[in-house]
Amino acid sequence: MEGGYALYTMTKKKEETDLFVPRLVTTEENFAPGHRACIGCGEALAVRHVCKALGRNVIIVNATGCIEVFSSVLPQTSWRVPWIHTIFENVGAVVSGIESAYKARVRKGKIPDKNVKFVGFAGDGGTSDIGLQALSGAMERGHNFLYCCFDNEAYMNCLPSSSLIMTEEGLKRIIELKKGEKVYAFDQKNHELVVKRCEGVFDNGTREIYELRTLHHQIEATPNHPFLVLKRSGRGRENELMWKILSDIRPGDMVVVLKDLGEGEPYKFDPIRKTVVGDYKVTHVNEIELPAGTSPDLMKYLGIYVGDGWTRVKKGEIGFALPEGTEERNALIQLHSDIFGNSIGREDEMYVYINSVNLAKFIDHLGFGSGAKDKTIPGWVFTLPKDEKESFVAGLLLSDGYKTGNSSRYVSASKELLKRLRLLLQTMEYRVGKIHLQRKERGTVCVDRTLLKDAEWGAIAFSKRNAWNTEKYLSQYKYQNFLIESEHFEMEEVKEVRAAGKEPTFDLHVEDAHNFIADGVVVHNTGIQRSSSTPYGAWTTTAPVGKKSIGQATWKKNMPEIAVAHKIPYVATACPSYPFDLMDKVKRGLEIEGPAYVHILSPCPTGWRSPPELTIEIGRLAVETGVFPLYEVINGEYRLSFDFTDLKPVREYMKPQRRFRHLTEDVIEKIQARVEEEYAKLREKAGVK
Amino acid sequence: MKKEKVVGLEGSFAVSEAVRMANADVIAAYPITPQTHIVERLSEMVAEGELDAEFICVESEHSAMSACVGASAGGARVFTCTAGQGLELMHEVLYIPSSMRLPVVAVVANRALSAPLSVWCDHSDMMAVRDIGWIQMLAENNQQAFDLTLCAFRIAEDNEVLFPTMVHIDGFHLSHVIEDMRLPDAEEVAGFIPDYKHPFALDPDKPVSMGCYGPPFIYPETKRAQEVAFEKVMPKILETWKVFGDRFGRYYAPVEKYRMGDAKIALLTMGSYSETAMLAIDELRAKGEDVGLIRLRLWRPFPFKEFREAVKGVEVLVVLDRCVSFGMGGPVCSEVKSALYDQQKKPHVVGFIGGLGGRDIPIEGFEYMIQSALEKVKAIERGEEVETEMIGIRE
Repeated sequence: MEGGYALYTMTKKKEETDLFVPRLVTTEENFAPGHRACIGCGEALAVRHVCKALGRNVIIVNATGCIEVFSSVLPQTSWRVPWIHTIFENVGAVVSGIESAYKARVRKGKIPDKNVKFVGFAGDGGTSDIGLQALSGAMERGHNFLYCCFDNEAYMNCLPSSSLIMTEEGLKRIIELKKGEKVYAFDQKNHELVVKRCEGVFDNGTREIYELRTLHHQIEATPNHPFLVLKRSGRGRENELMWKILSDIRPGDMVVVLKDLGEGEPYKFDPIRKTVVGDYKVTHVNEIELPAGTSPDLMKYLGIYVGDGWTRVKKGEIGFALPEGTEERNALIQLHSDIFGNSIGREDEMYVYINSVNLAKFIDHLGFGSGAKDKTIPGWVFTLPKDEKESFVAGLLLSDGYKTGNSSRYVSASKELLKRLRLLLQTMEYRVGKIHLQRKERGTVCVDRTLLKDAEWGAIAFSKRNAWNTEKYLSQYKYQNFLIESEHFEMEEVKEVRAAGKEPTFDLHVEDAHNFIADGVVVHNTGIQRSSSTPYGAWTTTAPVGKKSIGQATWKKNMPEIAVAHKIPYVATACPSYPFDLMDKVKRGLEIEGPAYVHILSPCPTGWRSPPELTIEIGRLAVETGVFPLYEVINGEYRLSFDFTDLKPVREYMKPQRRFRHLTEDVIEKIQARVEEEYAKLREKAGVK
Repeated sequence: MKKEKVVGLEGSFAVSEAVRMANADVIAAYPITPQTHIVERLSEMVAEGELDAEFICVESEHSAMSACVGASAGGARVFTCTAGQGLELMHEVLYIPSSMRLPVVAVVANRALSAPLSVWCDHSDMMAVRDIGWIQMLAENNQQAFDLTLCAFRIAEDNEVLFPTMVHIDGFHLSHVIEDMRLPDAEEVAGFIPDYKHPFALDPDKPVSMGCYGPPFIYPETKRAQEVAFEKVMPKILETWKVFGDRFGRYYAPVEKYRMGDAKIALLTMGSYSETAMLAIDELRAKGEDVGLIRLRLWRPFPFKEFREAVKGVEVLVVLDRCVSFGMGGPVCSEVKSALYDQQKKPHVVGFIGGLGGRDIPIEGFEYMIQSALEKVKAIERGEEVETEMIGIRE
């Protein structure tokens, strides 16, 4: 360990972690594995590094907080070194007591002097808020101890489990999404449709939700969920888009919604295992050709099926409820022979039957559901070319729809079907009204039929939109509709925002593109709760973003500088993304006589809403952007651990963290300027030109 | 022949002498009236090399107790002292040594609580900390302040006890008054207080985790264990006082009686006013009344057995509280009543509140209480409801 230590001090400038690690760092884990920290926890990692540097000859005092909770659940402990936790705000005092006890007992000859070291651990609250007094007292009295502050934060917010997310593979329920899937997102810079990788879905528990309704869309979300809203800059000036949380959105606000997903591609079906003669109890099979992929004809056929069809897989039967002599029945028979190359099995006055076990299997496999109330539109339909989608809609209209004037109307007993159809139509430049739900009692005459039982159904009306005459009304429409020239998005006026009860909610992480499309509306997830160390501009529930607020409106308390002001011999900042540097500083702080303070930035994926696998990267970005510079102050002399002549823009650090996602360019610029200013001051203190 | 000398000492200095003789390792305290003289004297001792201890000049009482917790966990003999507001600021931390079995010894110079600001004595501060698992005892004079502080170290640090102990001395009445007292020889004291060794002190050679996190599946068990352990405290206190008596000739008991022989009427007091009460009893006895005095020496653990024993044959028990439990009368009175509730034969208990914020109670005050109590008992027997009377109030 000792030899290795010198070696890593030599190599640490490069931080070539993967090269020499096994020989440079002790394999001894005094902070034992098996604790209960979150996945990707930067704090647990930092504690582990610190403990490796501390060695065994220490006594650790821990404040109440994450570390204590995840490492010491009775009757277990993760600590292989003596460790004590008492309360939240007194680490400085307890460590003073232990150090004094040791000094007195050694002096009195009660115990031999083994050069035991004393270390305090606390989070940012336990250090810079409630615990500041005790720490200040301990530093001022000059006890010989090392204090490590593990700096992180917390948050919250989400969509209900029923939310439908537009992905490259079609429409999916939020809970069906898996890490790595591609979701559609709105590129705020160029106002274009982009595809981004989903980085995980998180269960946020049952929470109160609100419904936002525009003329053509509706979406449910938690009140703190951000939506992209038009910010009018006034006559003659360019309008802008800004993120606004749902509870701040008022009727009349314009939100960004999806208009058109663009051209898709025919869908290739997964092959199914056909039943053949020779299978158990199978002596005869009606031969049928199953298509390998979608075509306009097949989609029309399926459209009719969704309206009027059923399947009995076990019986090997497909049925359609199409009365004799109707246009629909004729169309179906024609389509059937065109697609499958064989004829209808049998017909009667009301129904058409096709006896083919393989066709039944095939249609069942496509995921349209069976039974009037359970019918749905599978996600892959959303990825089809426009003509195939149109054929599908035409098929639907043949069965359960009708046209009145320019608008069409579709009726179904399945709410899920209507919801998805509405979203489908919205990817095809249709204007779609809201879902009208109806309930009729048995015996009511309805669309030429007398109902045989009580029925519930819904209907939507839709019509093809007329293109804006942008040549004629260019400036006017540009004022009204910010995204007039966008192929894929448009603005819609919010009609209503209302409470919609409680539902299980989920949250989606998307790679850098900060947003995604839920229920046809562009949204994104952000939010944290305020802590003393909350950085400037971070959105919090106690300092929410609004017309007059950008979120956390004060700059982060500079704890290392406060420690420096105590004239203690050693102050340093560190980050687990730079493990050798961190261990080096801990060692130095430990060896120096008198109080030493090490402030460790510990990225918290749960709190910062950042992907757990990016913990190290975010820590590095914090350093490389100058947001959290690494430096030491030895006896008042500043020394930069890593100096960057060209800082990366702070935007890169903020990008993977959704607590910063609401920030507008001007705020980010303000932060950038502040970071640069502080960094320049620091360089000056360190005497770097 | 016992080696001791008679000296005139202030209560604060008496306590400081006890701490010096006990050879405390770590003292962490923050000055507050009326405890200030203890801190001053102790820091003087440390500065003069009379006491080899680490004196931590903490920045608050909260940190004082926190530092004591740390030092005690580190295996040191620990002392602190405070008063009134300071004890209240310590409150959060006071639970830690009692739950983690760390034998911190604290002397509290009892002081009234704000508002309005009062630096003078009453028992509001000590009553506010009665449910936190500390052993609490009271001194009546400087000799007792010294003796009980010494005993507190031996009791608290007994490996079968390991509970923090508080010795209460009345602010100003004791802390700032010079009395003559017997100061034993330091060697004698050293023989009385054995070397302290906490069985699980923080030590890198034998790592332990202290103060872990207790979710619902285990928290109640820890509290039960604490309670079971606390039940074993009483015999150790009695044993220590017995040993102390044998060695130094002054015996203490959890409940002490004065002229209780055939008393039908008993007065119950705690702390420094007991001595004034004794004078009142003497006067009443001279007039031929059957009165006696009961003094509570030990407040926690509450000496149920000894108390019930003491009030046997008493018909009227007059209880003086130096604290108001708003909406309920006096805390000592209600405690006493609950101790008697299950008894077949029990006295009438009449509670008075007096001496708040340093207000004196003269001898006549105690005489008045007894007379008034007799009238109240008649009213109680008539079935009337009797309220706790606050005495000495200018209406």
